[in-house]
Amino acid sequence: MELTKKNIPANPALKNGGEPVLSKDLFVRYKDEKDLHDQAFETKPVSYLADCFKRFAKNKASIVAAVIIFLIALYAIIVPLASPRSRVDSVAYPNGYMDSNFSYVLPYNSLFKGTGFWDGTKVETKSENDYQTMLYGDSNHSRFVSLVSTSETRVGSSVVKAYKVRIDTYAVGNKNVKLSAKQFEALTAYEKAQNIYRADKSIMKPLVDVESYLTTYEAQIIADGVSTSTASGIIDFMRTYYNQNSNVYFALSAKTSSGKYSQNRFSPVLDSSGKPVDIYKRDTANNLVYEELVSGEYSVRVDYFDYATYRDGFQPYFFFGTNDAGQDIFLRLAKGTQFSLLLGIGISAINFIIGLIWGAMSGYYGGTTDLIMERITDIIANIPSIIILSICSIQFTNNVSLKAALGESGIIVLAFLVAFVYSGWVGVASTTRMQFYRFKGQEYVLASRTLGAKDGRLIFKHILPNAIGTLVTSSVLMIPGVIFSESSLSYLGIINFSTSGLSSIGSLLNEGQAAGLQYYPHVLLFPCIIISLLMISFNLFGNGLRDAFNTSLKGSED
Amino acid sequence: MNQTKDDEKAKEETANSAPVSDTVSPSSEAVAAKKPNPFPSFFKKIHSSLKNSSKETKQTLSYIAQRLILMLITFIAIFFICFILIRLLPVNADSGMKDPEIFYLNMVAQGRMEKVVDATGKITYRNIPVFRQLWTFLVNLFTPGNPAPWGYSYKIEWLSSPADVLFKRLPPTILINIYSMIISIPLGILLGIYMALKKNKWQDHALSILVMLFISVPSFVYAFLLQYLFSYVWQILPAMRADASTGWFSPEMFRSMILPVLSMAFGSIAGFARYTRAELTEVLTSDFMLLARTKGLTRAQATIRHAFRNSLVPIFPMILGEIISVLSGSLIIENIFTVNGVGALFLQSIQTRDYDVFQFVAMFYILIGLVGTLVVDVSYGLVDPRIRMGSEK
Repeated sequence: MELTKKNIPANPALKNGGEPVLSKDLFVRYKDEKDLHDQAFETKPVSYLADCFKRFAKNKASIVAAVIIFLIALYAIIVPLASPRSRVDSVAYPNGYMDSNFSYVLPYNSLFKGTGFWDGTKVETKSENDYQTMLYGDSNHSRFVSLVSTSETRVGSSVVKAYKVRIDTYAVGNKNVKLSAKQFEALTAYEKAQNIYRADKSIMKPLVDVESYLTTYEAQIIADGVSTSTASGIIDFMRTYYNQNSNVYFALSAKTSSGKYSQNRFSPVLDSSGKPVDIYKRDTANNLVYEELVSGEYSVRVDYFDYATYRDGFQPYFFFGTNDAGQDIFLRLAKGTQFSLLLGIGISAINFIIGLIWGAMSGYYGGTTDLIMERITDIIANIPSIIILSICSIQFTNNVSLKAALGESGIIVLAFLVAFVYSGWVGVASTTRMQFYRFKGQEYVLASRTLGAKDGRLIFKHILPNAIGTLVTSSVLMIPGVIFSESSLSYLGIINFSTSGLSSIGSLLNEGQAAGLQYYPHVLLFPCIIISLLMISFNLFGNGLRDAFNTSLKGSED
Repeated sequence: MNQTKDDEKAKEETANSAPVSDTVSPSSEAVAAKKPNPFPSFFKKIHSSLKNSSKETKQTLSYIAQRLILMLITFIAIFFICFILIRLLPVNADSGMKDPEIFYLNMVAQGRMEKVVDATGKITYRNIPVFRQLWTFLVNLFTPGNPAPWGYSYKIEWLSSPADVLFKRLPPTILINIYSMIISIPLGILLGIYMALKKNKWQDHALSILVMLFISVPSFVYAFLLQYLFSYVWQILPAMRADASTGWFSPEMFRSMILPVLSMAFGSIAGFARYTRAELTEVLTSDFMLLARTKGLTRAQATIRHAFRNSLVPIFPMILGEIISVLSGSLIIENIFTVNGVGALFLQSIQTRDYDVFQFVAMFYILIGLVGTLVVDVSYGLVDPRIRMGSEK
């Protein structure tokens, strides 16, 4: 109060044997008004949630984490909707877009074109023959990008040259495809409209007459002194080679530089001007043949990259590369992230509800109820979910009627649901129980009970709102836990995604490991990045939430 | 299992270690004592505390016994549940089994299936109801001289007992876990101490970010990273575990274990560092530290003798838990580096559907988990007698 020292006479109270005697005139009325009121707050009242949000907003790491989670979620939602690859014809692609000709192409980003990084190129070591064969091609896109280095090693008396070459993985060359009459006419019409019909950059390339060349070549090498059996061996290898490499349109020779004949190393035959000698199929008028009609189907040789562009309506460039089956990793990872996120959020929500009810009952009633319920949770929590998941997976996949009712993907979801809901709620339950023990003995609960409140009202109206902050935080922190377990279990192959058409981050990791880290690291790289980002951000976000909801920390950071 | 033996052992241990726990918590007393020869007084103290704390020892023993019985009940309940779930799984004898005939004979002999001959003389085998199977299993288990109470492995190793299969896979798992422990515990604790001492300085912030990264990022991600960089790009270390024929302690084996050990240790180091930092910062700000400094101890003395010892109270049980879990292999790390350990066996038994091995290994994992929790809880109580997990208010 505003009683200053001036108003008090020099310590009269202690004169009377230490007993304070306070006379009335010592006290002065503070303000000579009839009514005293509390002054209204000049500041705005801050609600609990607003306060939490304010404190959360101060934590920069959590904000960044929230933004990253938001971006990943956006990626997972938008890409499957917007990508042209998810809208391809479902008749031509029953299992979604895939093209095995583009198997394991590397990530491509047009921004980095020509830099050697993220532009779909890689460095490979080629033997001299392979190198020369690669240099000549009638494809519109050359696999050869640049020569990095050459090296020579001496093996015995001969020198073996090796070329380190940067190659474009998207230049898959020419392929033989079969078209129906309708498709063939459409392709011809398209080429004519683009003015590339039988021109330099045409999609359809002249056919190669392998068989007649092989017959003449076989006669030629036999005449050169090769035994008949060796010659037929060489010709067989050469036929396989031609069949596997549809962009080889020129004559091959098995003769090595030392004059011997090699079984499996072929080099192009060059004419006097240094160009390879072509072995195109020609008709009687010596014109190039572009198509062959066999039993109603046109057999043509196309530049596959351009053909795929024409067929699908978009260029087959892949931002994250492709997997073994030639599926777009960018799209599949988006779908997988979507699945994993939905699974994580869904399972956390279910676990939250079950755990809340269980923990509330166990914590509120206590005593024997608590003891029995605790023993049950003890048993449940000690059976690892991996055991339940494997049992469910085996049991469900063998159950014919269940399979018919839910489908392949439904079974996977069900197995995950059972395995993760089975023991996932135990954590929430024990947190809830602790919170209930903390609040149930407090005076305001007693007061409410004295006024006749029922158990349900006490639980839901009085105790739960006080505990909800802690509980929400713990359930947010449960989401990355579910995503992590899901991804590690599907990575291990305990749940088999391959036939279901579904994908998750874990199943993509599994594909990546099957592809071989040594050869195709990009298949594993992107799922790893996404899951690491998700884990880090969810942990930071959850920690930020926990600090924000923890009222006892208020003001301690400032 | 030899549960009773474990019981006795645990009791013996506690009887020995209970008085020792007294000397841990009131450490200021030990420091303040300035006797010329500390050892006789130390023994005297143990002796007197043995006398005084006989009531407390009894309490501790009954507490441990109580926890053990609870654990046993839980284990038996879990065992019944798992047994029933696993025996309900569909059996397919024809896929990948060496000799289905012997398999069926064994199944009939163990009371799991019965032979049915229909009117046409065709022989089929039918499952016996699960609860009857459970009963025969229990009878077989407690009948002495029964050759294979736990069944046989039919896929992984034809007709060897699941226990043999498991014990063969233990050495690589134990080795890798022990190496990883040897690295991670001291390193983690040292890092934690360093961070706590440098609290809120840039060293602490930098290390905290690293620790956060290593805790959040799944261990398989850095396992892949290590394997890719060290084995495929730089080609310094082997990507796969070496052949066991070279011996468990050969240099090749050691070299091939570096990567899996590292990828297991990272997360562990980060965990220990974070925990130690949290504990030590809390202790460093407590009142008795102020007292120790006012008494004239230097900061180093006070930290080592008072703060560190007290902060070890919750860390010590963590280490014990780690030691128990040495037996259980990490599924993912063993899968990535093709370590032929317990984790790999677990996975293999699921994939090949070798149910008897699956059941045995699963129960092994569950038992380790239970014993680990028990040891951690009990040792909390021993190290800090104020703590009794699961006790009443």
